[in-house]
Amino acid sequence: MLQLIADGLIVGSVIALGAVGLTLTYSILRFANFGQGEFMTWGAYLAITALAFVLAVTGGGVMEPLGPFSFGWQLLAALVIAAGLTASLALLVDWALFRRLRRGNAITLVIASFGAALALRNLIQFLYGTLPEYYTREIQIAIRLVPRDTLGGLRVTPDQMLVVGLTAVTVLGLHLLLTRTTLGRAMRATSQNPALARVAGVDVEGVIRSTWIIGAALAAVAGVLAGVVGQVRPMLGFDLLLPLFAAAILGGIGSVWGAVAGGFIVGLAESFSVPIFGAEYRAATAFIVLILILLLRPRGLFGERG
Amino acid sequence: MSNALALESIEGGYEPGLPILRGASLCVAPGEIVALLGPNGAGKSTLVKAAAGLVPIWSGRVTLAGRDITGTPAHRMVHQGLGFVPQTENVFANLSVLENLQLAAALVERARRREIGEMFALFPDLDRQRKLAAGRLSGGQRQMLAVARALVASPTVLMLDEPSAGLSPKFVGTVFERLRAVRDTGVTILLVEQNVKAALALADRAVVLVEGRERLEGRAADLADDRRLAGLYLGEAA
Repeated sequence: MLQLIADGLIVGSVIALGAVGLTLTYSILRFANFGQGEFMTWGAYLAITALAFVLAVTGGGVMEPLGPFSFGWQLLAALVIAAGLTASLALLVDWALFRRLRRGNAITLVIASFGAALALRNLIQFLYGTLPEYYTREIQIAIRLVPRDTLGGLRVTPDQMLVVGLTAVTVLGLHLLLTRTTLGRAMRATSQNPALARVAGVDVEGVIRSTWIIGAALAAVAGVLAGVVGQVRPMLGFDLLLPLFAAAILGGIGSVWGAVAGGFIVGLAESFSVPIFGAEYRAATAFIVLILILLLRPRGLFGERG
Repeated sequence: MSNALALESIEGGYEPGLPILRGASLCVAPGEIVALLGPNGAGKSTLVKAAAGLVPIWSGRVTLAGRDITGTPAHRMVHQGLGFVPQTENVFANLSVLENLQLAAALVERARRREIGEMFALFPDLDRQRKLAAGRLSGGQRQMLAVARALVASPTVLMLDEPSAGLSPKFVGTVFERLRAVRDTGVTILLVEQNVKAALALADRAVVLVEGRERLEGRAADLADDRRLAGLYLGEAA
C-alpha cells in the first residue's frame, strides 16, 4: 500500500511538472500544445550533452556521486543548462511556427503543435539514435523507510526522494513567481484578458515569450527527473503526453495547483492499477482517468466554470 | 496651448475594407471633460479603442499634448500618458483589488507611478476590499477599480468607454462624482456614454458621432437643450 503510494507520487511528480508547463502555455497561448512532451524529451537529451560538456570542462570525465545520490553535482549543472537550452528551443519553435499562426484559430495551432512534436521527436532520433541512455550507471540501493509488516512496507531510493522534493520546490517557486512578481501577475492578467492586459501596459508578446521559457524549462526539469529514475529515450515525452493532458484536464486546465494535484492523482491511479489490472494496463489508466473527468467534471477539479 | 488629446480625421476599423471610423475628429483641452455621444453603431467605442491602439487606424493622426502617438502599441500608451478604461471586463477578475493596482503600478516607470494609497483615498470602497478578488466586486466597485487601475499610471488623459453601463442609477451618480474628483486632480477625461443626460451633466463639452464621424459638438449645457441632439439619435440630419 505505502509502496504503491510512493511509486505513484514519484511518477506523479514528473507528470505534475510537465502538466504545469502544459496548463501554463494553454492558459496564456490559448491552445493545447502537443509538443510539450517533446520538450521533456529534448530536455532529457540536452542534459546528456550538457553533462558530457560539464564533465569535459571540469576534467576527469567521471562523475562522483553526490552524497547518497547516484549522480554528481555535474548533473545538476547539466539540468540548468538543459532547461535554458530547451527554453531557447521553445522560443525558436514559437518564432518559426506558432507566432505566425497566432492570429488564426486554436485548432490551427493545435495541429501545428502535432507537426512540431513529430519533427522534434524524429530530430532527437536522428541526433541521438533510438537506444536508451542513462545519466549514470551507478547502482542505488533502496532505503527501507517503513518495515514490511506495516502496510506492506516502503522502500525508496534517494534519487526518487529527490524527484519528489525537487518537484515540490519547483512548483512552490512557480507559485511564488505567479503570485509575488510583476511577471507572474502580468501572466495571470494576460491569461484572463489579453486586450485589457495590453491597455494596462503589459507587453503581451513578452509575456508569451516568458511563458514559453517557463513551460519549456519545467518540461526539461521533468524530462531530466524522468531520466534520473528511469531511462532517457526518444519516446520519453510522447509516452507521458496522455498522462500530462489527463493531469492538466483533471486539475482544471489553466490551474497550476490543479495540474499538480492532477499529476499526483494520475500517478497514483497508474500505480494502483498495477496490482489490480497488471502492469500491461498501466498506461491505459490515464485514458480511463481522462474519460471519467470529461464525463463527470469537464472543467476539472479547480477549473473555472466556462 | 495644444490640446491634451486630438484625434484628426481618423479612418479605421477591425477589418480592411470595412471602415467604422470615416474621418472622425475631436479634441479635448487640458483639464476638460468631453462626452462622446451618438447612437448605437456610431463608432464611439471604436474611436476610443483606436486612440488606445486596440483598433487599426488606416489614416489620420492621434496627438497627445501635441505629440503624435498614432500607431503606438497599446501597451506603450500608458507610458505616453494615455489611460483607457474599457466598457466591460475592465478589471482582472482573478487578481485581488490590490494586485490589480500593484500590477498597473509596476508596469510604469517609478516617476510616473502614483501611490496605491492615493487610489484608496480617492476610492475608499476599494480600500476596504483590497484583498478581495476583483471578480467578486459589485459593478460600481469594479468601475472604480478600473478607473483606479488606469490612474495609477498617472495618465494626462483618461478615456472611459461607457462607465455607466450596467450600473444602477445610484452607482452611476457615485461613479460620475468620482470622475469629477479625478478631473480635479488634473486629469483630462474623454468619456463615451449612452446615458446622455448623465454624461451632459458631468461633461464640459460633448461631441456627437454618427456613422463614424462627428456631426455635432458644443458645450454640454447647450447641447442638453439642443433638439438636433435628439434628432441625430433618431437618424435625422443635424
